[in-house]
Amino acid sequence: MSTPVYILKRILQALPLLFFISLMAFTMLKLSPIDPLAAMRANPSVSQAAINAEEERLGLNKPAPIQYAIWLSSTLQGNLGVSTTGGSVAARLMQHAGNTLLLNVVTLFFTWLIALPAGVYAAVHRGRLIDKLFGFLTAVGMSMPTFLLSFLFLMFALATHWLPIGGMTSSDFAERDTLSQIADIAYHLIIPVCVLTFVSLAGIQRQVRSNLLDVLRADYVRSARAKGLSEETVIYKHALRNAINPLITLLGFEFAGLLSGAALTEMVLAYPGLGRLTLEGVLTKDMNLVMASIMLGAVMLIAGNLFADLLLKFTDPRITVE
Amino acid sequence: MKKQLLTALTCLMATSLLTGCIAPRKNTTNRVGIPTSSLATDPADPDAAKTAESNTQQPSGKLTFLFPNPGPPKLVTKDGAEYWQSRGEVGQFGGSLKLGSFGGGPKTFNPWEASDVESHGIGMLQFDSLVDFDPWSGKAIPKLAKSFKVSEDGRTIDFVMRKGLKWSDGHPLTADDAVFTYGNLIKNGFGETSSRDTISTPGDYPDVVKVGEDTVSFRFKKPFSPFLANLNAVMVAPKHIFEPITKGSKADFHNFWNINSDPKTFVASGAMIVERYVPGQRLEFKRNPHYSFVDKEGRQLPYLDKMVIGIVPDQNTMIIKFLGEEIDLLDTRSVRGIDAALMKQRESSGNFTMYNLGPDDGTMFLMFNLCQRKDPKTGKFYVDPIKQSWFNDEKFRWAISHAVDRKRIINNVQKGVGYPLSTNETEASLYFNKALKQIEYDPALSAKLLAEAGFVKKGNDLFDAKGNRVEFDLLTNSGNTGRDACCIAIKEELKKLGIKVNYQAIEFNTMTNRVHTSLDWQAIVMGLSGSRFEPYGGANVWKSNGRMHLFDTRLPDKDGTVKAPDARPWEIEIDNLLDTAAGTMDEQKRIEAYNRFQKIAYDKQPFIYIYDIMLLTAARNNLGNYKPTPYGIYYTPKGTLHNIEEIYKKGAKH
Repeated sequence: MSTPVYILKRILQALPLLFFISLMAFTMLKLSPIDPLAAMRANPSVSQAAINAEEERLGLNKPAPIQYAIWLSSTLQGNLGVSTTGGSVAARLMQHAGNTLLLNVVTLFFTWLIALPAGVYAAVHRGRLIDKLFGFLTAVGMSMPTFLLSFLFLMFALATHWLPIGGMTSSDFAERDTLSQIADIAYHLIIPVCVLTFVSLAGIQRQVRSNLLDVLRADYVRSARAKGLSEETVIYKHALRNAINPLITLLGFEFAGLLSGAALTEMVLAYPGLGRLTLEGVLTKDMNLVMASIMLGAVMLIAGNLFADLLLKFTDPRITVE
Repeated sequence: MKKQLLTALTCLMATSLLTGCIAPRKNTTNRVGIPTSSLATDPADPDAAKTAESNTQQPSGKLTFLFPNPGPPKLVTKDGAEYWQSRGEVGQFGGSLKLGSFGGGPKTFNPWEASDVESHGIGMLQFDSLVDFDPWSGKAIPKLAKSFKVSEDGRTIDFVMRKGLKWSDGHPLTADDAVFTYGNLIKNGFGETSSRDTISTPGDYPDVVKVGEDTVSFRFKKPFSPFLANLNAVMVAPKHIFEPITKGSKADFHNFWNINSDPKTFVASGAMIVERYVPGQRLEFKRNPHYSFVDKEGRQLPYLDKMVIGIVPDQNTMIIKFLGEEIDLLDTRSVRGIDAALMKQRESSGNFTMYNLGPDDGTMFLMFNLCQRKDPKTGKFYVDPIKQSWFNDEKFRWAISHAVDRKRIINNVQKGVGYPLSTNETEASLYFNKALKQIEYDPALSAKLLAEAGFVKKGNDLFDAKGNRVEFDLLTNSGNTGRDACCIAIKEELKKLGIKVNYQAIEFNTMTNRVHTSLDWQAIVMGLSGSRFEPYGGANVWKSNGRMHLFDTRLPDKDGTVKAPDARPWEIEIDNLLDTAAGTMDEQKRIEAYNRFQKIAYDKQPFIYIYDIMLLTAARNNLGNYKPTPYGIYYTPKGTLHNIEEIYKKGAKH
């Protein structure tokens, strides 16, 4: 099967999946006993007529299956609807998606930049002090909740005044020149990137280490060493290349996560990302917004998997797409 | 769940870490340590007590005025235009005021469309109304108007506009704008129609006519006294911008000036105007160059060049940002009782001052579902008939009321920063009924009342006369640590009486659904906002057919009207009292009606009031002319910035 045909097949397979995801998400949201107009209803100065008008405008007074049909048809036409918090869903998602993408790409870059060499080093020097140190650090990273880590960083920022306390830009951002704006964003990214890198570093470093350890025990590595090849050639030319496949699958998942925000970190650090937007949407039952966000996540996951499979085929000639 | 967990943990973290690591701790003997100025009307002060007795409408003892009343604003004329003169000291121009706001940000920039507090608060910064409140007396004073006059019969109110007013785009602001706003935009139901209901009664919307060049006259069929108190929240709209919009559909109106609109198209009459909105991050305002306010040297205000409102997800982050000097002011409700002592310790090292504005006008209460009707859809009672009979027994409600240890709850939940509450109007209200005594904690009396009502205690458990175990479900919204702790305290107290309370915290939007729509609840602890100036603001809650008649909600029928054929005699009396008070301009009659209304609410205990919070703000010391008063409080972000035009940054560069 040629690659384009394979891609087409995968996309066709994904369509019913996306449909069922949307149906399930919609049903579950509808079943939740949350009143989307709660804030209005709880305000004594708001009249019943005003509430009725809002229900009418958002289509909340129609039966659930019809609401789903309306959502589906308008989404297929490329219209994501309006959010209960004002403005169109597409605009709101776009505003926040860029911020999340920026945060996640930078995090991904630093994570892999550190995790790959650290994993290789730990595998090669297995059992030594530095390996144990990495083992300890990654254990902390895996067990530490992100919001707790975020909070510790905030406390650090407050105590030292070296770093900004949350947010993405300074209050005079608009008046700055481009270079200074970039510096300002970079300055604000330090804490969230550190938090997220520290947490995701743990998984990948361990994965690299254990994969490489498996390969280092293989027969062909022993033959390579017996042949008298230098240790460097053995590790980087023979062992690491064979250990890379599971990591590529992992990279695919990471790609899928590029647009899924880290809600808790974003909440604590006041970062204007998709996760915070979606979480707030769920809590107020902002149907259109949450549905769009869930579907975006699903599409990214499917695309990420496909991307990883294609990458595997590209890097490993033994793998064919069948 | 996540949010709840997050809030709980961040609170814990904030408290422990803040005390632990940042600034040196100082031992304060005063546990609360909130400044009360010598200018405060102290109940122990004989003079204050005298004035309070002589006039029932004087602020009660707990209302604190930290700054002396500068008297009414003066009108000055410059080049034929009439300006209000600043009452504060002469400041310096320039600088940017940084505030914070927690939540998701505004929903619209069209204040006539706003149904949420934040959008409305932004509207109040951008727009003025014909009248405003005097921050020191709570009385209506002219704002865009120069003066106003109520006719003898109370049915006609005339406003004389100031001369030479301009919108921020330079277009003249005249009586025509006011006639258009109230005679067309509001009258014809554009935007959030609730504002129409706050300035008129259904069926008697006033005729709005222009008389002569600069007078706007409102003509009612019957007097409606809350009109003046509520008019300040219904701002005057620019006719040259909005007239074309009101020719279109209401959906067009809804989308006009929405959060994606270009702020360059905004036109305002207030001190500040929105310049830029960065969703999820901040809202930036710039000064309105045509604002009709001058300082004592005749220079046009506001002093500030800019105002920036940072959007933060929660209260804790906001406080940290304040301590980290990223924001200049924490307005009311940003500093909770539980934060007060901690903040106070940092006052001098953090170079800020805290201000105590006394009790809030909002209330927190426990209520029982008094509904005795059946759900027409299922034919079942909304409330189990056995429980109905307990909840509807006044003695039962009084027993619970005496079992609530309000002072202990305030000490535990709010670290002592709050006021025990027994009445529906708090002491912040102009109409607070002082004759009503605080309900004391008295478990012995509770037990006695329960015995009189036929309840029997066997061992540790309480049973009703028919032998049913007394137990009920208690709800509150999750994420609010104060209410949560309050529920636990109530549960423990009632356990002593033998009553089993099954307590559960649920998501706010879920709770609202149960209270307003499914009526599937037994007891709830929640809060309501109030009004300092006008108890009629609670009509939606207290009238038997009100939309928020929470303790016995009557759902609307298909055509949307609410009928209350089973209203209790005292509910009907409250309906009548509210109508009497709203239907007269005679202040003495209004006071009598509102006093009687509070007495009934007190005697019947449909809401068992628990406490109201102490309003605290904290401001950097380089903020000039910041003079918060208990009556000068608006929706956030305007908040306590009633004199935003004269506030300035000391040492600001122009």
